[in-house]
Amino acid sequence: MRLVYRAGLWLVTILALVWVLFPFYWAFLNSIKTPDETFQPTWIPFLQFQPTLEHWRSQLATPEIRHALLNSTIISIGAATIALLLGTLAAYALARFRFKRPSNGALTTWFISQRVLPPVMFVTPFFLLMRQFGLLDSVLALVLLNATFTLPFAVIILSQTFRELPRELEEAALVDGASYFQSFLSIVLPLTLPGLAATWIICMAFSWNEFLFALSLTSKSAIPMPVIIAGAEHTRGVQFWFVGVNVLLTMLVPIVLALLAQRYIIRGLTLGALKG
Amino acid sequence: MDSAGDNRRSVEYGADPKTAQPKGRTDRVKYLFIGPAVIWVLAFTIFPLLYALYTSFYTYRFGQRLGFVGLDNFVRIFGDVNLLSSLRVTLIFVVGTVATEMILGVGLALLLNREMRGKNVTRGIATLPLFATPVAVGYLAITLYYEQDGPINSLISALGGRDVPWLSDPVWALVAVILVDIWQWTPFVFLVTLSGLQSLSSELYDAARVDGASSLQNLRFLTLPLLAPLLWLILLLRLVEAFRVFDIPVSLTLGGPGRATEVYSLYTYRTAMRFFDHGYAAAQGFLLLVIVMLIVSVIFSRVRGLYEEEG
Repeated sequence: MRLVYRAGLWLVTILALVWVLFPFYWAFLNSIKTPDETFQPTWIPFLQFQPTLEHWRSQLATPEIRHALLNSTIISIGAATIALLLGTLAAYALARFRFKRPSNGALTTWFISQRVLPPVMFVTPFFLLMRQFGLLDSVLALVLLNATFTLPFAVIILSQTFRELPRELEEAALVDGASYFQSFLSIVLPLTLPGLAATWIICMAFSWNEFLFALSLTSKSAIPMPVIIAGAEHTRGVQFWFVGVNVLLTMLVPIVLALLAQRYIIRGLTLGALKG
Repeated sequence: MDSAGDNRRSVEYGADPKTAQPKGRTDRVKYLFIGPAVIWVLAFTIFPLLYALYTSFYTYRFGQRLGFVGLDNFVRIFGDVNLLSSLRVTLIFVVGTVATEMILGVGLALLLNREMRGKNVTRGIATLPLFATPVAVGYLAITLYYEQDGPINSLISALGGRDVPWLSDPVWALVAVILVDIWQWTPFVFLVTLSGLQSLSSELYDAARVDGASSLQNLRFLTLPLLAPLLWLILLLRLVEAFRVFDIPVSLTLGGPGRATEVYSLYTYRTAMRFFDHGYAAAQGFLLLVIVMLIVSVIFSRVRGLYEEEG
């Protein structure tokens, strides 16, 4: 009976893993098959078919894709950096100082509550405002917006990280005559470096994946990867091999980033309710 | 003593006069720390929100503001058949995805909450869908759902079933969109529930065992009540996310066939960016906000305990 139970558990685990992993493998498989082979039920490269890197080469040589990859990179790094800068300062204030009106709790809730607003509400105002300021189809507009939408994550993750840091070290520095900024820069930041890096990385991954505003506000020169992908099947039909390459080109960056920041992800996704 | 109470540190230092901080100093410095983020949110969230409210009282034609129309844009919502249809599609999507994700995710977490080899690998793998670009997932799913000899239909026919018209049939198309969301977000429910389970104290379970409780009794009277606030939070986060769904239907079905998978956000997006009817789009945005706020206000009280230590 116990054995059956254990075997059942393994079966469930393996089924779940196959369910999760199959789409990734399918994308990879199609990306290294020739167009003729994509409809063959072959699953193992080298043994059942001869893999080719031709589609990777041709997609990576396409100017639109290169430009989109560059845009996505700039947007992610720029947005995450702004979110981290603002978020670190605000999180430190929430963790170490006491605010009266509004209270620390109310301020934290205010930052978290930004996440409840449906993004589509902002399509119209952002479009009209960016048009006003001449920022339509600019990378800068997407940097600003993604920084805005990832800022709550940064504030929440980091205010907990700072709370976990013992106060004594900072207090010693303050007694020795350091200013708050000095002790913040020379003691707090170095000690919380892993948390800061993870926050930066998570904000990058979210910014990379953002689609709604990228679609609304770009038309040509600022188009990032997710928008390239969304328009693709209508211009060239479904070509499995290019789908495979493009999907992986888009997904790999945020996935690798997320695995690097694994330890902080639960905390970020539950808006700080769980330490993870 | 009044201003000393403003700041935890000065309370502590207050006990020892030698290390006391100058009173005004921490008061000003804390605003320098929190100020930039507050100003940023005011400029990029609150101001656009107010601008959207202003926009919603005007009529637009081809992107140009024409005139003040009061509440007309809000009244229009209730006579707009297509909008009501998108609301219906969204509700089906929300119920279908969130219910399935909660049941599967919590169930798997309860089942696998034990010392197992390869636990970290399992967690790592469960993280993958969460960060896979949703648009890319939807785009990839076009090939997975491919109706002639695509992998899913091949599997179904190998098991003796008939080909499913995944993307050409209105009902199946919505099922297809729902399944992709389930693939992407069940791991989230699973991971968070698992973390919650592992933070429960084992002493309680030891005590229950001494009292002779069965594992079913443990689940019913110990695990679920202890986990309840977290489960409500997961439900809240999933509901909020599901109501804003956009990326997957756009990349997988473009809202079709017909309007079968045209979710609310997609309809609003089209109102704004295809018809440039900005006033009406803004009004639609506020209706969605009201719906989401209703859900939050119903559930939030059950979740508040998780944040209480924040003070």
